[in-house]
Amino acid sequence: MIPFAQVILDGLFTGATYALMAAGLALILGVVKVVNLSHGAFFSLGAYVAYVLSTKGVSNPAAAVLLACVIAFAFGVFLGKSFINPVRSHPFSVAVGSLGFAILFEQAAQMLWGPHPVSIGSGPPWGELSGVVVRRWGAVSLLASAGILGGLALFLSSRWGLPLKLISEEEEVAGSVGIDVEKIRVLTFGFASATAAAAGALLAPATSITPTMGRVPLILSLIVVIASGMENVLTIFLLAVGLGLLSNISAYLLAPQWSYVSLLTVISLLLLLRPAGLSATDPGRDY
Amino acid sequence: MRRIACFLPVPLLALSALVLLSFAASASPDPVAPIRIGVLAPLSGPFAAGGSAFTQAVTLAVEQANAEGGVLGRPVEFLVADTQGRVEIARSEALRLTSREKVFALVGAYLSEETVGVIEVAAASRSVLIVPVAATDEITDHVRRAYDRYRYVFRVGYSIPQWAGMMAEFLGRQGVSRYAFVGTAIRWNRELAGELRKALAPKRIAPVYEAFYSPRNPALEPVAVAVMAGAPEIVVLGDPGGSSAEFVKRVREGGATFPILSVGGTLGDARVAATLPLSAPLYVQAASWKGASGEATRYAEAFERRYGYMPVGYSDALPYDAVMLLLSAIRDAGRTDSDAVVTALENGTFPGVAGTYRFDASHQAAWGTPELHGTVIRWEPGGARIVSPAAPGGMNPAGVEPRPP
Repeated sequence: MIPFAQVILDGLFTGATYALMAAGLALILGVVKVVNLSHGAFFSLGAYVAYVLSTKGVSNPAAAVLLACVIAFAFGVFLGKSFINPVRSHPFSVAVGSLGFAILFEQAAQMLWGPHPVSIGSGPPWGELSGVVVRRWGAVSLLASAGILGGLALFLSSRWGLPLKLISEEEEVAGSVGIDVEKIRVLTFGFASATAAAAGALLAPATSITPTMGRVPLILSLIVVIASGMENVLTIFLLAVGLGLLSNISAYLLAPQWSYVSLLTVISLLLLLRPAGLSATDPGRDY
Repeated sequence: MRRIACFLPVPLLALSALVLLSFAASASPDPVAPIRIGVLAPLSGPFAAGGSAFTQAVTLAVEQANAEGGVLGRPVEFLVADTQGRVEIARSEALRLTSREKVFALVGAYLSEETVGVIEVAAASRSVLIVPVAATDEITDHVRRAYDRYRYVFRVGYSIPQWAGMMAEFLGRQGVSRYAFVGTAIRWNRELAGELRKALAPKRIAPVYEAFYSPRNPALEPVAVAVMAGAPEIVVLGDPGGSSAEFVKRVREGGATFPILSVGGTLGDARVAATLPLSAPLYVQAASWKGASGEATRYAEAFERRYGYMPVGYSDALPYDAVMLLLSAIRDAGRTDSDAVVTALENGTFPGVAGTYRFDASHQAAWGTPELHGTVIRWEPGGARIVSPAAPGGMNPAGVEPRPP
């Protein structure tokens, strides 16, 4: 093993996991324009779906992702329609309500599967490249995040994505040209929830599954989205990967506790220099 | 008006008599009233897994005691308070249990920090407090320094130096000279790493790498890479939580073949262990394990029947023993009087599932002795195998007589 090269490759993979979660969050922030604190709960939901399937003898990740997406989409649409849409003009109510949903999910998961961590077999690594191990689930998250974010960028640049862009930029204009704004917002919320669940289902074998496992990815992906801005999908991906590298390199060269500190320090500096986010066209301050 | 004044003393006298009678009733306990025990455990928050096993074991112990006729002819009742793993909540719940719920004794709390707060409540209310799992030395130091105030506090679980001592015995028998310590950035893990270093120094076993990761962002991949770069002969994994399973997956993915010795918790759970790569030895330390003794086997089987999974033998077995030992001491004392129970605890020996408990002058159970020594198991594809104490029939190098299965 070549230690530093391994740390770099693992850093890329870590960043990809941040990007996977950030994709859905960015969509919700951009189109629905709310801070959704229940996003981490959908990540956990996806992981538990993978776990339940594995206990039934189904270890195919595609099956887990598909089922997790369907369940999370249904939940997301229900949540978007019944709660987020009616109160979305009150940001604090949305934040508190979505946090309440996340806590409700954690309690439900604790009652259903217990508070103990559960686990799924992760299988051997994919292989070795000149002394550097390619971790199976790291590679999967890199490919999945590139796929989801790439697909999202293509969709937004196509004519199918026009209604979303219009709602994101000029909501009133979108409504006046006959776009069903409310329906698109609800469907976007459902789709974003499904991407979080897909991430959870994909990464479940690499981690240990607990009711509160969605909290850390939620915070990290929220950081990525806020610091990158919601305008540019590529910026989200690059920033996520950059932060993943920073997290791993600082943990390796300094000490593991420095990983989180260095990450938050860099984000604070970024926000100080570009408060509207990295991809914002006008980097001026809002106040 | 005069007639009213004349009759006024009658209801007043009746009221006074009622008040006096109620005082008298509370002064002498009802001979069949339940003996109430307050249980402090985190049932929500990041330590809920340990707290859940804790209360499950207490439930089992109380059910068993009641099935055997209770204690002194009285049923046993327990009240659980959720500490959420937070010091101030643990303290206020302890206060509520002792003052409002009138429990006779407390069992808990879970974390060292919580327990340090709770011992003040126990001392002020003169309630017996049995500490099952919190390991910091500060708890028994209080008893040593101010016996009169803290004499109600007893620890059933192992202290950090005892823990490190038992680990050092095991590592010494493995014939290693270099080890790595990996744990979470919490006080208990740092203290354990320090004590282990001290305990291993005379055996010429030195750490080549020590790391404490944040539970918020463990960054396990670079930790795994750094551990492997240090080339230790064994890794001590101090994290009892979910990240420990992730760490095992990371190092084995990287091709590491060094053995891992875990403090237990998540890695003691057979359901989790079944999903981990066992390409190299994975050892887990526990207070008790099925097969270590007849009592331990009976307990583990009863636990599995009741809850559908095998106990991990630490955050469950020690609270079970704590309750059983408290009830034995009440029987020995013959009455529910805190001072009498303290005397019984100080002078008695108490068999439990982990061994036979006896307390020293600081009210610390004597771990690391032939009567009470803990167990180390090794996970194998078919399940767990006890590797310490050595197989029945022989003496292991530490001179500990193995217990019959």
